[in-house]
Amino acid sequence: MVPTSAQLGPVPGWAILWVVFLTAVGLFAWRVTFLIRLLRLGRSEKRWDRIPERIKQVLVHVLGQRRLLDEPLVGIPHVLIFYGFLVFLLATSSMLLQGLLPGIHVPSLEVNRYVAPVIDVFAALVLIALAVTSFRRFVLRPAGLQLTWDATLVNILIAALMVTYLGASSFRIVASPAESKVWLPFAWGLADWFARSETLRTNAQALSHVFWWAHVLIVLFFLAYLPYSKHLHLLASPFGAFFSRLDPPGRLPAPAPEGQRLGAERLEEFTWRELLSAFACAECGRCERACPSFQVGEPCSPRQLVHNLKVQLLQYGPALLKKARAATDGGEPALLGGLIAPAELWSCTTCLSCVEHCPVLNEHLSIMVDLRRRLVERGEVDARLQEAFSNLQRYGNSFGQSERKRAVWTQGLDFKPKDARKEPVEWLWFLGEYACYHPALQETTRSLARVLRVAEVDYGILYEAERNTGNDARRAGEEGLFELLREKNMAALEKAKFNNIFSTDPHVYNTFKNEYPELNHGRHPIRHHTELLADLLERGRLKVARKLSHRVTYHDPCYLGRYNGVYEAPRKVLKALGVDLREMPRSRRDSFCCGGGGGRVWMEEIGEAQSRPSESRVREAAALAGVEMLVVACPKDFVMFTDALKTTGLEGRIIVKDLTDLVAEAVIGEAAEVVQKRAA
Amino acid sequence: MNIAVLTKQVADLVEGIEIDASGRAVDRDSIRYILSESDDHALEEALLLKERSQAHVEVFSLETGEVRDGLCTALAKGADRVVMILAGQETPPSNHAAARMFASVLKGLPFDLILTGVRAIDDLDGSVGGLLAGYLGLPYVGLVRKVELVDGAATVEKEYPGGFAAELGVKLPAVLGIQAAEQPPRYVPVTRLRQVMKTAQVEEQEAEPASEEPVSVERMYKPEEGAGAAMLSGSAEEIARQIVNLLSERRVTR
Repeated sequence: MVPTSAQLGPVPGWAILWVVFLTAVGLFAWRVTFLIRLLRLGRSEKRWDRIPERIKQVLVHVLGQRRLLDEPLVGIPHVLIFYGFLVFLLATSSMLLQGLLPGIHVPSLEVNRYVAPVIDVFAALVLIALAVTSFRRFVLRPAGLQLTWDATLVNILIAALMVTYLGASSFRIVASPAESKVWLPFAWGLADWFARSETLRTNAQALSHVFWWAHVLIVLFFLAYLPYSKHLHLLASPFGAFFSRLDPPGRLPAPAPEGQRLGAERLEEFTWRELLSAFACAECGRCERACPSFQVGEPCSPRQLVHNLKVQLLQYGPALLKKARAATDGGEPALLGGLIAPAELWSCTTCLSCVEHCPVLNEHLSIMVDLRRRLVERGEVDARLQEAFSNLQRYGNSFGQSERKRAVWTQGLDFKPKDARKEPVEWLWFLGEYACYHPALQETTRSLARVLRVAEVDYGILYEAERNTGNDARRAGEEGLFELLREKNMAALEKAKFNNIFSTDPHVYNTFKNEYPELNHGRHPIRHHTELLADLLERGRLKVARKLSHRVTYHDPCYLGRYNGVYEAPRKVLKALGVDLREMPRSRRDSFCCGGGGGRVWMEEIGEAQSRPSESRVREAAALAGVEMLVVACPKDFVMFTDALKTTGLEGRIIVKDLTDLVAEAVIGEAAEVVQKRAA
Repeated sequence: MNIAVLTKQVADLVEGIEIDASGRAVDRDSIRYILSESDDHALEEALLLKERSQAHVEVFSLETGEVRDGLCTALAKGADRVVMILAGQETPPSNHAAARMFASVLKGLPFDLILTGVRAIDDLDGSVGGLLAGYLGLPYVGLVRKVELVDGAATVEKEYPGGFAAELGVKLPAVLGIQAAEQPPRYVPVTRLRQVMKTAQVEEQEAEPASEEPVSVERMYKPEEGAGAAMLSGSAEEIARQIVNLLSERRVTR
């Protein structure tokens, strides 16, 4: 018998269910329509292309839950709860249909021989999973996870759904064991236990109905409540995954088209997908746990950023829908200086860790940069950053040195690198400004020149025509400066004759690879010098004269690793040199930024941080037993970590060395021998 | 309220500067020009006054150097009108000549305040503002670091040696030599600058031709090694080492 065929007072049960059902569905639909209208406030952005790739994103990130499994303690329970949700979507729909249409025979999944056991098992699994996640949330309290009533209520509701389902199921078995021949381990277990009580046994039918009603009413309450809660991510994140950005992460989205103000600080200036981030976010805190600035106590939080966007959207979106645009009309105040303080934006190092760890594929970085663009547009940049911008604009380097001095490092060589503008070369070496101008790096630059000579690589440089590539100016929000630098570099590159191009700077590498579409007409993608060195070692063009016995660790630069997936080449080089490589706990995709990216290296210190990301990183390296050397493959890393060794007092414990210097150490020995042999 | 800002371009010291063959002037081919720093501050102070009291700001620049770029930057920062002053001569004018040129252009124009940088690196006696005030018959205050407008007069803050400062009341119109603006000169994003450059109207005005200069340069030279001076040379590291050695020889270091 269907529970709703009974009378509840003067009205039949099914009539009451219809009223509750229609109310819940109505509330749900009204709210969801409203949320979609809010999203449509955002500016347009094409996310309907490349459908097969989008479907793949959904398979991997929604059904596969890939990034959730990065943290197994919560990832596995989440997978169980997620699949439990799908199973119960079926089970509960079937229950609702039976209840709403008592006169019509609807196939009952709760007693189906194949489906019912699955539901039964999932009910128990979800309860176990909830116990684990609750323990984590309320007892372990990991950083970045907030204790909110919303989260607590959602946990209680899900648990109640499972309990009421098992209750209804087990009491149905107690009432009519003969009709329930299906294998239901948990419901039967409970039923055996309940059946021992005389009272429960006699009231089993009624109790089964009570639990049935409770289950159905909680589901309907949940349906109506869902789009108001953080559980909205359940609805929004599959769309978030489908509409996620498919371009490489190293290609920053272009700003709003010409004619519109640069950057964003009001809802209508963000793209609709950026606004969708606000609904897709489950406030899981993975971004904060991955954020180097947040970890050292700087006022940066990708989670808070997205949350503030959500607050702004829910608070002022409705007025915008009524066309009240100015704050004076009760409309929207700017986010900058309102919910978001500039210091929060400037403390981002654009290391991409938040984006790469976000399970719902939100794009914190594009939001961050759009807000920065607006600050720059308003001229609100700190004095040091302004100086760097002005220097880049005037001299093409942030050091404020004459471009004529860009090749001054070559003066310490006993040979002169070719000028790629004057003679054709196989490889163009684009150095990047740190390798050229920074006094602590020039010797390393010369080392590479010597190594390349030993390997007989035919290469040239652009001498004073090389400019900063604009990677970090762009990420600091100075889009126009990036375009200016790109034009100047492209003009110089077009005059040079070369087949391949490589750079010593991951920041150059990234922007050349992803943001210079005309570069080399896409024939040969740019390579990083570690890739070139790995190749030269592999092909025997470089021979290791003496194996190195250092015990080292390697730091993955953000713009090489996370941004462009180059993890193996530097490790191959280290292996070939014979060093003993020990990995840091945070390596490869989890690498911890040096704190210098996205223009941070030019800015004043932000806030009252307990320490700097670079300090946290050198401590991590120094904590590895017996490791004497932190090997880097990015000039900025060298500078940041060398400073950090001084400020942490770890100078005697560990040294920072560029990969190039190790190669020179291992290889030039051979070269010296060759020279001696030739002389003899 | 009408404000005129007088500017000029000077050599950018980031580039090496050479003396020309005559030995009486710097080699102008070796020079890269940049807006004189204190003129940049004068412009900033004028823009701050504009923001506070809806002033109309016009910027005048002598013809030397990358004038157009400098004037476009002024427009992008918020100036209302920019004018290039044509001098009819190749060489940069002396301070006297510059003051006469500015005076010939400004005479009779209804400016309440004329701001200029108090000095420039190519002429350290800082006399343009004072001379101009003399030619125009207006009061002059130099080394100003703050300007406030009160009922047709200005209160200005002036620096004195020894860390002193004074507030002076100045009747308008007046000429002020700006030492530093109240805030560092503002940043103009490249996008806006380039937009302005596409559409900018840079007006040109002829100045009265300069008469013969009573002062002329006879010799210009780089620092020379005198008796008792030793020049250190080499890489930065080598020089540093030499300095350390010299200091320890003289027992300055421990």
